[in-house]
Amino acid sequence: MKLPILTIIMTTIFTGTMLTMISSHWLLIWIGLEINMLSIIPILTKNQKPRSTEAATKYFLTQATASMLLMFTIVFNAMHSGQWTTTNIDPNNMIVSLTMIIALTMKLGMTPFHFWVPEVTQGVSLMTGMLLLTWQKLAPISIMMQMFTSINPIILLLIALMSVLVGGWGGLNQTQLRKILAYSSIAHMGWMMAILTFCPSLTMLNLLIYLMLTIIMFTMLNMNTNMTTLTLSNLWNKSPTITMMILISLLSLGGLPPLTGFLPKWIIIQELTKNNNIAMATVMAIMALLNLYFYMRLIYSTSLTLFPTPNNIKMKWQFQPKKRSLFLSPLIILSTLTLPLSPVLSTLN
Amino acid sequence: MNLYTSFMLITLIILSLPLATNILYVHKNKAYASYVKLSIAYAFITSIIPTTLFIFSGQEMIISNWHWMIMQTLKLTLSFKLDYFSILFVPVALFVTWSIMEFSMWYMHADPNINQFFKYLLMFLITMLILVTANNLFQLFIGWEGVGIMSFLLIGWWYGRTDANTAALQAILYNRIGDIGFILTMAWFLMYSNTWEFQQLFMLDNNLDMLPLVGLLVAATGKSAQFGLHPWLPSAMEGPTPVSALLHSSTMVVAGIFLLIRFHPLMENNNNIQTLMLCLGAITTLFTAICALTQNDIKKIVAFSTSSQLGLMMVTMGINQPYLAFLHICNHAFFKAMLFMCSGSIIHSLNDEQDIRKMGGLFKAMPFTSSSLIIGSLALTGMPFLTGFYSKDLIIESTSTSNTNAWALLITLIATSLTAVYSTRIIFYVLLGQPRFISMPIINENNPLLINPIKRLVIGSIFAGFFLSFNILPMNTPQMTMPTYLKLMAMAVTLLGFVLAMELNIMTNNLKLKIPSSTFKFSNMLGFFPTTMHRPIPLLNLYMGQNTASSLLDLTWLEKTMPKIMSKTQMTLSTTISNQKGLIKLYFMSFIASALMMFLLIS
Repeated sequence: MKLPILTIIMTTIFTGTMLTMISSHWLLIWIGLEINMLSIIPILTKNQKPRSTEAATKYFLTQATASMLLMFTIVFNAMHSGQWTTTNIDPNNMIVSLTMIIALTMKLGMTPFHFWVPEVTQGVSLMTGMLLLTWQKLAPISIMMQMFTSINPIILLLIALMSVLVGGWGGLNQTQLRKILAYSSIAHMGWMMAILTFCPSLTMLNLLIYLMLTIIMFTMLNMNTNMTTLTLSNLWNKSPTITMMILISLLSLGGLPPLTGFLPKWIIIQELTKNNNIAMATVMAIMALLNLYFYMRLIYSTSLTLFPTPNNIKMKWQFQPKKRSLFLSPLIILSTLTLPLSPVLSTLN
Repeated sequence: MNLYTSFMLITLIILSLPLATNILYVHKNKAYASYVKLSIAYAFITSIIPTTLFIFSGQEMIISNWHWMIMQTLKLTLSFKLDYFSILFVPVALFVTWSIMEFSMWYMHADPNINQFFKYLLMFLITMLILVTANNLFQLFIGWEGVGIMSFLLIGWWYGRTDANTAALQAILYNRIGDIGFILTMAWFLMYSNTWEFQQLFMLDNNLDMLPLVGLLVAATGKSAQFGLHPWLPSAMEGPTPVSALLHSSTMVVAGIFLLIRFHPLMENNNNIQTLMLCLGAITTLFTAICALTQNDIKKIVAFSTSSQLGLMMVTMGINQPYLAFLHICNHAFFKAMLFMCSGSIIHSLNDEQDIRKMGGLFKAMPFTSSSLIIGSLALTGMPFLTGFYSKDLIIESTSTSNTNAWALLITLIATSLTAVYSTRIIFYVLLGQPRFISMPIINENNPLLINPIKRLVIGSIFAGFFLSFNILPMNTPQMTMPTYLKLMAMAVTLLGFVLAMELNIMTNNLKLKIPSSTFKFSNMLGFFPTTMHRPIPLLNLYMGQNTASSLLDLTWLEKTMPKIMSKTQMTLSTTISNQKGLIKLYFMSFIASALMMFLLIS
């Protein structure tokens, strides 16, 4: 795509999300979401393949439905409560709170509205997929964090639990890396939403760490354009550093101590237990093991074993890498080594 | 002090001398057999003295010798209880054993291991005496197990024969099943009465639960071959005839009944256990009498006859008459041992032929044996004023006049008449008619070793009943008054049995041979009890064991339950969840459906 057009579209995407995040009037929030959705469609179809078009269509349909539901909720709320502020939604108004949750979770790609996430992620290129799984989550989560007091906790916990389950089991059957990361996103959304009604700062923390890790993963995969596990297995010869970093990042994504990815899971479980929700915490922790398993499978094929290869693979000509790797090193450090910084959490409100 | 303790201990020492002098290699000597026989004869004589003392002064004694160990509150000692039962039983047992030892000197004279045989018989006798003189359950158990082991060794005497080995094992197994009840009782008494001594047990609470008494009953069922644990007794006829005479007619099989007799103070208060004993004894006596009707092996007929009499003893216990049962034990020993010895004499003379269909016409050929056989059979059926009459008739009278189970009484009467039937059958087939054995057997009964014991036991069969009944002390009031027909009932049914059997047997000389009816088959196959119980039940047990160990434990619990199910579940779930085909309309419909469900959930 030509650079000016790309710049405009990227700016529009940025504007849309920012608009949603800074406004307190419902209409403006919805406008921001719409701008965001409309301007990301050309990004999705950047690839000019039929698969990407199909992915873009699916994405558009889902997000449009979600925005429509959101609009319905906004108008209903305005009718019943006579005001347009985000923070004053009446929790006793069943239709409003429920439909709000449905709309927002549909935007985020949580179960039972998760069907579009793997397909859309698979249909687009790696960097676009990264955009999809990281930037697009910001707007709906910011809305949810503003109105978290009026959400029905039972429904949200149910959705979160189901998301964790689906994310764990769905990812087991995949060899395509984009789909693996899509299911991982579904599971992480589940973790984030589980703690929303108890302590939203932890949602923010989880989101932050998740964003860092997903950006790292996509960037590293993009370096050698690895789309499948099979291509990953040739990585040891091409760039051993990437192999190492993938190992560490995946382990952190799976929530293994002493890496940073353990921190959100730990604190979330602690908060759930404090609220007497031990069954939920146990089930989520056990399901996170499944996530860890399919990450381990990737690690297994990259660093722990050598797949059978013909002999001339070992004698590759090493070129300079041409793909951009924005902030890869600091992000890796941040997302794997900052567990000792966990006492910082006591400063959050 | 008097001679009581000294003579009892002398008796026991005389008996154990042939075993204790093993280190002097006496058992390698050819004269060992007569040495053992002589020891038993002397022991008999010395044991008469305490018995006479008891009869004349009613003195009972408990000899408590050796303090063995104390386990917290339980004291185990070696103590001999010489009361009514053991004092009277010991001379009887010694007398019969003396005769049997002399007889087996004739019967087993061609056996190279005859010294070992006598040693085994002696060991058996000693353990039997330990059993009857025991004052606590522990010592009784020692004797109990001892007679079981010796029975095993003696039944399997000709161990080259597989049938003998099987029979010996069968005896041990059935006895062991009975031992479960014994140990149950011992454990119960240990827990609830904190003792194993008889005195203490009877002093404490007399109204006991059913459990220990049922345990004793099970033990008696195993040892005394009551119905349910009875097949070992006819199979035990694989052993030599002296073994059958000693163990399986007079001494070992009465050990079970003896145990019940010992515990009669506890049984007389519990009506339920008496009913159980009554019904069990009635079933046993009728069933084994039916089985005896169609057997063709002379020893098996006598074995079933023993079983039937044991059932009768159990019936007596069931109507709360332990002293009558004991009297029947003593009387029965005489004529049953003699019946076995006569069978042994016949078998040996006919060159080891045991099938009664191949005997006949021995009335003139072996006069002494046939006379004693006839006397023994008459005593068995309860001919007035022979030995059996004094106990058997009293038993039938007591059952007729007690207000108890009429069905059991009827069964017992039928069994009494059947006793006469099979006795007649033996006499007819063995003694009467034309000879059916192969020509030129050496029929010789001139040996004094054979004649003297039988002679002694014949005198015992005729007079012992009288002798015992008029010398023992009456311990409870006997039944004196009853209607005439009840008094004559036992004799009437016996006569009926005799006449019927004689008629039927004579008829078989004139009629054509028929295909056996199903009743005949039932009787001949021992009621199909061994056929149905011996193989299927252990097979089921073994299958269950195999299935439990390999299928249940190894396969299911360790392999399938956690690992396989876990992996299968996860795989199924993951394929189900990630099985998407891009059906957008379906997805949106699912969205609507989920939204609706959520509405319904919180409304």
